[in-house]
Amino acid sequence: MSSHADTIDHHHDHTTTTGIPNKKLVMWAFLASDCMFFGVLIATHMIYRLYPPPGAPDPMDIFSIELTSFSTFILLMSSLMMALAVNAIQKNNLKSMRLSLLTTVFFGAIFLGCQVYEFQHFVYAKHLTLTNSIFGSTFYTLTGTHGTHVAIGVFWLILMYVRSFQPAAGIKDKGWFWRGLIHIAAVIGVVIFSMFAVIGLTHTLQAGEGFGAFLSHDFGLLIGLAVTTALSFYLARPRGPVAFGEANAIDVESMGLYWHFVDIVWIVIFTAVYLLEYL
Amino acid sequence: MEATAKSNFTGHDEHVAPKRASVFWRPTSKTGLMSWLTTVDHKRIGFLYGVFALFFFIVGGLEALLIRLQLAVPNNDLLSAQQYNELFTMHGTTMIFLAIMPLSAAFFNFMIPLQIGARDVAFPRLNSFSLWTFVAGAAIINLGWFMKAGAPDAGWFGYAPLTSSTYSPDHSIDMWVMGLQLLGVASIAASLNFIVTIINMRAPGMTMMRLPVFTWMALFTSFLLILSFPAITIALVELMMDRLFGTNFFEVSNGGMPILWQHLFWIFGHPEVYILILPAMGVISEILPTFSRKPLFGYPIVVFSGAIIGFMGFTVWSHHMFTTGMGTVATAAFALATMAIAVPTGVKIFNWIGTLWGGHLQMRTPMMFALGFIWMFMVGGFSGIMHSAAPADAQQQDSYFVVAHFHYVLIGGSLFGLLAAIHYWFPLMFGRIVSEFWGKLSFWIIFTGFNITFFPMHFLGLNGMPRRTFTYDSNLGWNTPNFIATIGALILGVGIAIYFITIVYTYFKGQKIGRDPWDARTLEWSLPCPPPEYNFAVIPKVHARDAFWYEKQHKEEIAKENAAQAKEDKAHGGIHMPFASIYPLVASIGLLVAGIGISALDHNKLIVSIIGGVIMVAGIFLWAHEGNEGYHMHADKEEKS
Amino acid sequence: MSHSPATADHGDEENKFQIYIKIAMLLAVITGIEIVFIFLPFPIWLIVTVLVVLSTVKFMYVIFYFMHLKWDKPFCTILFFIGMVLAGGTTWALLLIFGAKDSVPLHSVSTLANYFVG
Repeated sequence: MSSHADTIDHHHDHTTTTGIPNKKLVMWAFLASDCMFFGVLIATHMIYRLYPPPGAPDPMDIFSIELTSFSTFILLMSSLMMALAVNAIQKNNLKSMRLSLLTTVFFGAIFLGCQVYEFQHFVYAKHLTLTNSIFGSTFYTLTGTHGTHVAIGVFWLILMYVRSFQPAAGIKDKGWFWRGLIHIAAVIGVVIFSMFAVIGLTHTLQAGEGFGAFLSHDFGLLIGLAVTTALSFYLARPRGPVAFGEANAIDVESMGLYWHFVDIVWIVIFTAVYLLEYL
Repeated sequence: MEATAKSNFTGHDEHVAPKRASVFWRPTSKTGLMSWLTTVDHKRIGFLYGVFALFFFIVGGLEALLIRLQLAVPNNDLLSAQQYNELFTMHGTTMIFLAIMPLSAAFFNFMIPLQIGARDVAFPRLNSFSLWTFVAGAAIINLGWFMKAGAPDAGWFGYAPLTSSTYSPDHSIDMWVMGLQLLGVASIAASLNFIVTIINMRAPGMTMMRLPVFTWMALFTSFLLILSFPAITIALVELMMDRLFGTNFFEVSNGGMPILWQHLFWIFGHPEVYILILPAMGVISEILPTFSRKPLFGYPIVVFSGAIIGFMGFTVWSHHMFTTGMGTVATAAFALATMAIAVPTGVKIFNWIGTLWGGHLQMRTPMMFALGFIWMFMVGGFSGIMHSAAPADAQQQDSYFVVAHFHYVLIGGSLFGLLAAIHYWFPLMFGRIVSEFWGKLSFWIIFTGFNITFFPMHFLGLNGMPRRTFTYDSNLGWNTPNFIATIGALILGVGIAIYFITIVYTYFKGQKIGRDPWDARTLEWSLPCPPPEYNFAVIPKVHARDAFWYEKQHKEEIAKENAAQAKEDKAHGGIHMPFASIYPLVASIGLLVAGIGISALDHNKLIVSIIGGVIMVAGIFLWAHEGNEGYHMHADKEEKS
Repeated sequence: MSHSPATADHGDEENKFQIYIKIAMLLAVITGIEIVFIFLPFPIWLIVTVLVVLSTVKFMYVIFYFMHLKWDKPFCTILFFIGMVLAGGTTWALLLIFGAKDSVPLHSVSTLANYFVG
């Protein structure tokens, strides 16, 4: 359906009976369903925390409130970035939307990274596995399912970001999609090289050596960082009109609803699974 | 480019799809296998749901006949205990998930857009995805028949720990779990579609309180589906993780509690039975007014009761667990809620009687099934109320009394409603009307056979015969009722056979009819039989409840309105139709492959699952990228009048 | 990050950006309070109540502002609340059932003694 030539009203769709866009309505209905989904999963976990069997692992020995608080904060910030992305595209500000989407992906990826780190730390250092206790089963299944939702969201966000580079009809630019994917890979490269460079610098300074030592140790990392940064900017430079604008705001908004939902589920999980154990 | 519309099952079109990269080719054929696989037309999708449902209904019926043959006499050895377990499991699973639900879905698909004055559902490709994912789920559930593992054999409710890998080591339960998960995906997707369609795509003037009751019941059923399926999804995920990865959700030795399975299953399972009955209640609420020549009595109350039944359906699940030792408070609370839920149900029955009262009754075949529904569903309701008293249920639980109860509500209720719907809407869907004689004959034989089969089971239950046992000894006093029930089952089988042969014959050679053969009240009857692909030549303006009845009483006013709207539509380029698409099918195939990889294989599980996952993601990705453009057409001139 | 003024449908349009930033800061602060609070020597019932209330506040801010429910048609709110209330109610009922005396698992040795006493 084509919209009118004048401004798009992002809050009222005149082609539907209620004025709510179909895509928004279907996402809200899906989220209502997903409430029951997570509700039952959280209930399972909480039921099994009522009367732990003898010899059950104690979450107090296992949890690290610092790590979990950090990842909670990160997810909240990603939610903010998502809201800003939707706000930007509703005002046809493509560059702002792209930057906000990228930051959302960035924070979402950090959250996932923290969760992966948490899981491997719990398994190897704290000996809490999926199968060796009921607590492990419910904890990993619940937080893992949430993490899977985050991963799906990150995947969707990346695809939406790349989609925003699709050339407008009539423009010849066949490789735009693969170029978009390589751009994302370069951005991820920037993140990874920066992380390792920071870790490398920290180690060098801790060992009492100077900045020169860092440069000779980790020169490769810095080259990689420079290359991926340059590649990111080069691949993202504007190449003409794109087939993405205010009319696509509804798609970004639907995706935003999903992303925010994943955040509010984490708000509940953070309280019910982590904080309540500290009492 | 102008294209003319023909009847939706014939003809070909000449519209042109845009030139895109070959992977975004849009199917344009209107006939042949490809057109069926790629269709996004709600009428064709509804038809396919119906065909699959009726096929599986026959399968489920044959499973039932084998059960009854085994139980005809004591100490029978027609079936082994293992075979018997597979049969009653598959009979229940097939009838509920592969017969009744898809048959309801068939009518939802076909009728909802027509009743609300729309051209299709809100998301036509999602509709196609639901259909093919349903087929994939049905395939996986039935795969066991062809494999060494055998069919699932732990009951349609799959209680832990029987379904754990300790007690069910082979793949039959894995396939049951995986098949149900796919069916859940299909159901949720379809329900989301129907909710958005009913809320957002009504014709101008079609307020919610002017909706046909069938559409209202479809809306409530869809809500029940999206809110109850997540519970069984999680239960199945937990079971699958126990079986595949050794988690402890239901593993007692490591702190698990099998009773949790029962809770999670019935949190889904109870709303599920309302999912099975509400569509039938909706059908009855259409048929009774039509054949009583009166509007539905107490429309707002009938609608409101449907909503109440839907909501309260979530508060009674543990009445399936009265004998599990939950404690006095929980048992009493659920007993009370269960008794309360009889009230809105009773209200509906009074309103149906009120509809009949003083009406000019036309005893056509759909009316016979509808009247049979009221009476038989009431009998099932009475035995249900008897169950709601927990002390009485302590004797009835797991006995044949329960079997009698739910067959009365499911056959006497759901099935009669759907058999009525087939007769009622057959002329609309296929342009032919079913013979009164053969229709009524099949009704009476079905009605008789059904009662002979299941009425004795009340007594069998009260006399202590337990469920799910493959044979019984001859000195328990159960011999005669069992034998009678088996005779009844054979009569029922004959009745169903006559019903089926009749409708198949009618499809090919039945008497053709023009429009509105029943002089009905709702919008779907304003269309030619069968309707054209685009449904309405002009989207109607709705002025009252029973919108078509109003149209018939105000022909001039409506004709003027339609002419004006037609002019406006033409100025905007005509009727907009969506393109067909192959990608929903591709996504479903991906799910099928992944499902088989996870559940049916011994070796190469991971690689097959990953391949399936990739196919599914590719299907969804290309589905998103092909865009939702369509083409424009103009209605046949003859349709405009 | 830039935002354009001018194309406002209604008054909050220009301020949405500011609103989002403020709420994000509020959410962060509330999270911080929660984390500190659990270590304070208050009775358990008080801590649980405060945590539940604070989490609910965060939840509501996200759904009404970030997810735009405040400015959308009420039906979206109703639809979501149906799912949320049902999920909450089901969880509450399950916890009541499993928390009841009759549902204490036999492996909880200390509680087994209480079962016979109480």
